[in-house]
Amino acid sequence: MIVVEGLAKSFGRRGEVKAVDGVSLTAADGAITGLLGPNGAGKTTLLRMLATLVVPDAGRASVDGIDVARDPHAVRRRIGVLSDARGLYLRLTGRENIRYYGALHGLAGAALAARIDRLLDTLGIGPIADRPAQGYSQGERMKVAIARALVHDPAAILLDEPTNGLDIMSTRALRALLSSLAAEGKCLLFSSHVMQEVAALCGSIVILGHGRVVATGTAPELIARSGQATLEEAFVQLLGSGEGLVA
Amino acid sequence: MSTLSGARIATIARKEMVDTFRDRRTMLVMFLTAIAAGPILLLLVLNLAASQAEKARELRLPVAGREHAPALIAFLERQQVTILPAPGGFEERIRKGELDVVLDIDAAFGADVAQGKAGTVRLVYDRSRDRARASIDQAEALLRAYGREWGRGRLLLRGVAPQVGLPLTIEARDLATPQSQGSLVLFLVAFYGLFAAVVGGMAAALDTTAGERERASLEPLLTTPALPLELATGKWLAVCALNALAVLVTLSGFYLTLRFAPLPTIGIPFLFGIAEFARFVVVLVPLILLIPAILVWFGCRGRTFKEAQSNVSLLLFAISILPVVQMFMQRKEPDWLGWVPVSAQYALLTRALRGEALPALELAQSYAVPALLTAGALLLVARLLSRESVVTGSR
Repeated sequence: MIVVEGLAKSFGRRGEVKAVDGVSLTAADGAITGLLGPNGAGKTTLLRMLATLVVPDAGRASVDGIDVARDPHAVRRRIGVLSDARGLYLRLTGRENIRYYGALHGLAGAALAARIDRLLDTLGIGPIADRPAQGYSQGERMKVAIARALVHDPAAILLDEPTNGLDIMSTRALRALLSSLAAEGKCLLFSSHVMQEVAALCGSIVILGHGRVVATGTAPELIARSGQATLEEAFVQLLGSGEGLVA
Repeated sequence: MSTLSGARIATIARKEMVDTFRDRRTMLVMFLTAIAAGPILLLLVLNLAASQAEKARELRLPVAGREHAPALIAFLERQQVTILPAPGGFEERIRKGELDVVLDIDAAFGADVAQGKAGTVRLVYDRSRDRARASIDQAEALLRAYGREWGRGRLLLRGVAPQVGLPLTIEARDLATPQSQGSLVLFLVAFYGLFAAVVGGMAAALDTTAGERERASLEPLLTTPALPLELATGKWLAVCALNALAVLVTLSGFYLTLRFAPLPTIGIPFLFGIAEFARFVVVLVPLILLIPAILVWFGCRGRTFKEAQSNVSLLLFAISILPVVQMFMQRKEPDWLGWVPVSAQYALLTRALRGEALPALELAQSYAVPALLTAGALLLVARLLSRESVVTGSR
């Protein structure tokens, strides 16, 4: 379970750029929570704070009750992160990339090998796993990055725009994987600027705009509240303008 | 707080080494600089020295106007000089480097001498050519000797003791041991030994740091439980291993080169045997460990490989210029230089090459500062990696 209370972060010399400005939200276990917002809404910064990469200016955030600022190391053990930057080691094979992260999480031997095999199988990248990552397609790289983030079977999973650059088949496979992870009881927090995706996948949706929470609820709730016909129109209406979609 | 995990450090170091070994470009650059730069250059210098020694032993001197001074020619021939007729346009040929030195005897030589004036001979050469220097010096020395002998004969004829005209006797005592001769070769071996320790890990260091940032694999790495100091240490160890490899390859190159080089012809019973090899390694250990730490720190500060590379090139220039300055230093080195990294190592390397044993105290002295700097650099790297700016890209 991820709990965020009044989280804030500014950048710039005098903190003039308020990337995240007092965000509160809860992502429950066994569910996929969607962070929906236009580019620049603060999704990546929020996820980076949860991933302990960026220290909040104010507010608090915790993963399974552990504060991200107070004990980042314990949080890192518990989370799997598909960050905004998701570079692989191109001279290593996909399997070696995943194994490296498993070893850093303290896994080893047969348990690690079995875990990697299962992930490769689930993601359908077994056949390419022993080739250098250099030759991978965009989708294959993404899948290896996802497997890498899940290798230690984390309780909470943070995904920053995971479907970016994926084709339809890969997107569907990813959705199925995320749903099954939620069914296992994991807590998934997932950012996107693609409406349909969030509507299809997320039980609970948090709409972000200019670093603030604009609305929270399920897709039908949000549509009902806005009085619009579709989530997209609800989104535009809730943000107060069409600017987010253009930006 | 969590404690450092040796297993994780080993995991990081192992991964970085595998990654670098698969990088053909990095490995190629490393081995080319290690093998080509040092030993091959050394081989060229040795050959040059050998051919110069050859030249000095049997001087072949083209002479123009030999008929004007038959006594001088006879003297030179008695000194084992091969007299050749000077070809036409010899000045041009000297300028082009085809001839080293030509003796031009003045047409009025005989007449001048007969009138009791000094006879004129001209030695034509281009002193900017290192290759020609041995021949020039020898020809000059022979002409001076002839002049002295002649003068002495005249004084004797007039009943004057030769000492009257030569009040000063110069006795030269050369204190160079056979091994301390050939200082250029000495310098080269020490310099490239150092050079290998400095540049050996460079490409790998930048690739594991700035390269990691550039290919966007640093951010996900920082979300793993690996602590910043573990990352710093693991990466540093991997670079150290490669650096040590570069040094060993270079030293092996020297070992082989100097075994098969024509050393006896130059007159240097120069030794680079197993003992010198081992002493080199012992002297270079602090640099093998220190330089990667500094390079990793520099690399972490660069957001791209290119940026880091330009930062590092200045550092490398400063480091590699130190031994050159030391070589040209005229006075004995001041004592505090024994504390300065690179300088201390260079001084110890030249001593090892002269066949001296390494005093334990000075060796310990040369280890002290690099050890502190290495630890300091690693802590700086860890601090840098724990900053959020390393992910967000802001300064």
